[in-house]
Amino acid sequence: MTEESEKPPLFPSWRGWYLLVTGFLLLQILLFTLLTKSCA
Amino acid sequence: MRPADWIVLMLTLSGIILYGIARSRRSRDIEGYFLSNREMPWYIVLLSIMGTQASAITFLSAPGQAYTDGMRFVQYYFGLPLAMVVLCISFVPIYHRLRLFTAYEFLETRFDRKTRILTSLIFLVSRALSTGISIYAPSIILSSLLGWDIYLTNIVMGGLLIVYTVNGGARAVAYTQQMILAVVFAGMFLAAFQAVRLLPDGIGFPEAMRISGHLGRLNVITTGFKDGGFDWTDRYNLLSGTIGGFFLALSYFGTDQSQVGRYLTASSLRESRMGLIMNGLVKVPMQFLILLVGTMVFAFYQFHEAPLHFNRVAEERVKSTSYRDSVELLETRHAMLQAEKRTLVHGLGTSVGASGERMRDSTVEALAVLQREEDALRGRMKGYIKAAGASEANDTNYIFLRFVLDHLPAGLVGLLIAVIFLSAWGSIAAALNSLASSTIVDIHRTFAKPGADDARELRISKVYTFLWGVFCILVAELATDMGSLIEAVNILGSWFYGVMLGIFLVAFYARRVGGHAVFYAALIGEALVILLYLGTDMAWLWLNAIGALAVVAVALLLQKILPARN
Repeated sequence: MTEESEKPPLFPSWRGWYLLVTGFLLLQILLFTLLTKSCA
Repeated sequence: MRPADWIVLMLTLSGIILYGIARSRRSRDIEGYFLSNREMPWYIVLLSIMGTQASAITFLSAPGQAYTDGMRFVQYYFGLPLAMVVLCISFVPIYHRLRLFTAYEFLETRFDRKTRILTSLIFLVSRALSTGISIYAPSIILSSLLGWDIYLTNIVMGGLLIVYTVNGGARAVAYTQQMILAVVFAGMFLAAFQAVRLLPDGIGFPEAMRISGHLGRLNVITTGFKDGGFDWTDRYNLLSGTIGGFFLALSYFGTDQSQVGRYLTASSLRESRMGLIMNGLVKVPMQFLILLVGTMVFAFYQFHEAPLHFNRVAEERVKSTSYRDSVELLETRHAMLQAEKRTLVHGLGTSVGASGERMRDSTVEALAVLQREEDALRGRMKGYIKAAGASEANDTNYIFLRFVLDHLPAGLVGLLIAVIFLSAWGSIAAALNSLASSTIVDIHRTFAKPGADDARELRISKVYTFLWGVFCILVAELATDMGSLIEAVNILGSWFYGVMLGIFLVAFYARRVGGHAVFYAALIGEALVILLYLGTDMAWLWLNAIGALAVVAVALLLQKILPARN
């Protein structure tokens, strides 16, 4: 693997992207759950 | 359609074709033709990825799905964001480093020629068939609701885009997809805006949301657990969407050339990765908003008369049979039910305060009973339509367009019809481009005499693009009933995607497994997936995970049994 293929865009490591993507998904699931419950 | 609609439709469609031709640049070789000389920035890659995945079925079927089943379909996309990151780390750097044209080239480097050709053939068959359905699905709906000739509609749906796709290759595909998405989102927003605007005085967006929610249409999150256990036949829930959806997205974006071909047009590995990750971030909100259009249409029909069945042709046909009297009885009861619901729902939308809360609870209960009865009436109507010999009784895909045709003003109807055509063109154009690239790179080059010059290869590529276009239109012309069309495309994908992903997972992560083992494992895995689909009621999203894991497990096992032959 070359250095470019190891380095993710914008973040220093892939852990940053994993956290961002997972966090954003969990936030959406939370909001959708609240929506489902509040409008049920 | 009124004259203003025809004018808007013609102007929009011809505008896109002319734009596609204008953005076509003369290619010197197939790298320019299939990969735009690898010079695209990430935001064009992102829009191209989105435009390839979102076909006409997405915009026709999703609002209908929200109307009939609620918004839980959005969970189908929950596995996608994580899959994008995994792809960016594992698949994409290898594709870039090897400067591949197709994903399947990698399999010859890693295994052998027969595995590459098998995988390429699986792709060609599944992609060509699903592209045929992508042409047929919106055409049958438009022809039913507008009385257009289905054969001619298929030709316009799948044929006009061939003009710029054959001529301009991947570059024309990417730039037109960008324009198409702008028109599509503008059209969908205006349709939702109209649905809310046409609600009675005192009922706005928040009240519409509340009404849809009380009647079970805002069920975004469902767990899939029922009667104390997990329901494996339940199609869309948190688990199937996250796990099954993850495998499906990994397979679709990592091994389907129609997507791989989009991000290989990027100017660098970084641009490919940015395009994919951004797609992961915007996909769920985008799909949520498309489904929300369906819930607004649902709220609209709580205050306006809704047809008992949204496919007008099927409705008229059943009335010309011996079921006429039974259908008319259903319609009378349906009209009464709707009148009762309208009275209740008016109070529900505006109930506030403590007394309003008490009234709301009893109203919601009464409305839920009426809604269940209405759903049962719609089910009985479908039964009559089926019994009268119709091949298709499901009207989910007709709901949104019927709303558009019956209730939107002149001009906007034309724009929404254009949205259907254009969204189909966006995904079909990418499919034709990828079918041609895999045919020339994986099949033609393998069997043709070596030494063809660039100009000749480019000419042949254009011929293949054209021929695949004709083939997909023929599939559309021969297509018959396939139930809910968005599901038909996804189910077809699930038959093959899991196995394709399994082959690539072995390639990336099981370094000791050789060509023979993975080849036979793929055949066994495919047989298992088809047997499971035909022999059980398992929800199709699980087939992706099972197919992939079966190929990996069988390949590891065969490698142990047949070490000497590998």
